[in-house]
Amino acid sequence: MKENIITIEHVTKRYPVGEGEFTALNDVNIQFRKGEFAGIVGPSGSGKTTLLNIIGSLDSPTEGKAVVMGKNISELNHKDSALLRNLHLGFIFQVYNLLPVYTVFENVEFALLLQNKTVTERKKAVMESLEWVGLGKMANKKPSKLSGGEGQRVAIARAMVKRPEIVLADEPTANLDSANAHAILKTMKTLNKELNTTFLFSTHDEKVMGYLERMVHLEDGKVKQDEIIEAKKTE
Amino acid sequence: MIKFLFKGILRDKSRSLSPIIVITIGVVLTVMLSGLLKGMLTDMIDQNAWFETGHVKVMSREYAKNKDQLPNDLALLGVDTLMQSLQKEFPFMNWVKRIRFGGLIDVPDAQGNSKGQGPASGMAIDLFSPHSVEARRLNIAKSLVTGSVPSKKGESIIGNEFAEKLHLKLGDEITYIGSTMNGEMSFKNFRVSGTIRFGVAAMDKGAVIIDITDAQEMLDMSDGAGELLGFFNSGIYNDKKAQLVTEEFNEHYVQSDDNFAPIMFRLKEQNNLSGYLDFVNSMSTILVSIFVFAMSIVLWNTGLLGGLRRYYEFGIRLALGESKGHIYRSLILEAILIGTIGSIIGSVIGLAGTWYMQVHGLDLSGFLKNATSMMMPSILRSQLSPELIYIGFIPGLLAMVLGNMLSGIGIYKRETATLFKELEV
Repeated sequence: MKENIITIEHVTKRYPVGEGEFTALNDVNIQFRKGEFAGIVGPSGSGKTTLLNIIGSLDSPTEGKAVVMGKNISELNHKDSALLRNLHLGFIFQVYNLLPVYTVFENVEFALLLQNKTVTERKKAVMESLEWVGLGKMANKKPSKLSGGEGQRVAIARAMVKRPEIVLADEPTANLDSANAHAILKTMKTLNKELNTTFLFSTHDEKVMGYLERMVHLEDGKVKQDEIIEAKKTE
Repeated sequence: MIKFLFKGILRDKSRSLSPIIVITIGVVLTVMLSGLLKGMLTDMIDQNAWFETGHVKVMSREYAKNKDQLPNDLALLGVDTLMQSLQKEFPFMNWVKRIRFGGLIDVPDAQGNSKGQGPASGMAIDLFSPHSVEARRLNIAKSLVTGSVPSKKGESIIGNEFAEKLHLKLGDEITYIGSTMNGEMSFKNFRVSGTIRFGVAAMDKGAVIIDITDAQEMLDMSDGAGELLGFFNSGIYNDKKAQLVTEEFNEHYVQSDDNFAPIMFRLKEQNNLSGYLDFVNSMSTILVSIFVFAMSIVLWNTGLLGGLRRYYEFGIRLALGESKGHIYRSLILEAILIGTIGSIIGSVIGLAGTWYMQVHGLDLSGFLKNATSMMMPSILRSQLSPELIYIGFIPGLLAMVLGNMLSGIGIYKRETATLFKELEV
């Protein structure tokens, strides 16, 4: 039995809207284990991104408890939540969000600079990470010279370079064509298998759903269904 | 990490070159306009110094008491020796002798009869000594309306309006009628070599300018002069230095009970200039402060916008695990770096420009042709002063850093997730 690395217990998140409040998450209970390739799916406004933000320590619950890598998100200060993201979490965004003035190599290297790794360690890790996504030869290119698919692969390399336990991907294929989307998803799936990294998606893209091993359906801030999908379906 | 961030600054022209250019321009403007303002106001004081008071002035005690009456019978004697001793004791100053005199100018006709007369306000200066800068100091050559500066004894320049009133032409002869320092009648003929307009009504009305040696002969003042004027070699009045010079000189004669012993006054002690100088200093400080404040707002906004524009980058860095504090500190560090570079470059250019404007100035005489009632210099000059070295750093560095600090506060104030949403990350 694999350990739980994400535990969400009775989490409610409310946002002030005008003079009232909007409930984005309503008493959500859920756990994710190490090595899962799972997705939070649902229509717009269902609370997917809010849940992903809380798991990513970008936000904290109004009520309930969210524990990620043994850390209670509500109890973390700015510095500790940054440390949690730096050491244990990787992010992949809908837009690739690469820093345009830095090369592909430097974009990937940035996360390691925050960990005070040596030059040699950084170089080895960055090149290894770029090789995983098939961009070893593009290390010195600027993001503006990359195609959409290549840009998203750099984003994956950047998320993976520090070998995080969890990668949070918010609509990662939304800006990609079908061929690139499948290539990216296959890459992530391979990394999930080889490195045992937990991938957690927020999506309503059918292509992504086709690769997921588990789908948590959210609707109006509540878990409607927690669905385990047979492995063969995604092969 | 610092190297990494520095690399980003260098590559991103909008983070490095653009703000540095904006800061440089702002600082150059601050430094140059501050210098120009100080120079303009100082020039107005200098007008008084050049024409009347000098930076310091030596007179006899009795002459000083009645100086408004131009009492040449109370003038200093033995001035050549006194000049030498002053030049030796205060070599950082240029010493000149002047005689101011009143009298009547008579214009004779062909038969020698008077065809016109007018009261003269005369000034005798050293026009012929090879090293004399008096003509240049009083800007005589450029103020001439017709003719030229006297080149030999017996020539004079007279005020242009005065010449028109007396229907004088170049080369005409005029006769000075007055009294010598001993109270005897004095007559001397001069040939008009030029007419002049200083642009100052008080100076132009009845102006007669002759060489000092002519005046000494005419007024029977051999080795005498009404006033010895001292000017700092830098050309800029320094009140503290002038006070030291004055105290040191007067110390020699403090025990003397001779009514004709020399006494020195600094510019500020003459013609009620003390109050005027204090006013000028206050106005200068107020105007410079207003300008620095206005420029600070401009550069504050540059810093503010620069910081706000980078929220996108901050969002990515937050996601990668950089702490808010680290991002904030790096933002401030960059602002300090950019602000310092821009301020240094701006200050150097601004100081160089100010120096150029101090030495060469901007000739506005073409615009001031008809300005007869204002005592304004025709050449716009700046003035270098110690505060110009740091004044540009107030808007360039301080305002830039404060602007960035303000924009960076947003990083702390917002919830991380909200910031992400705003960042469209």
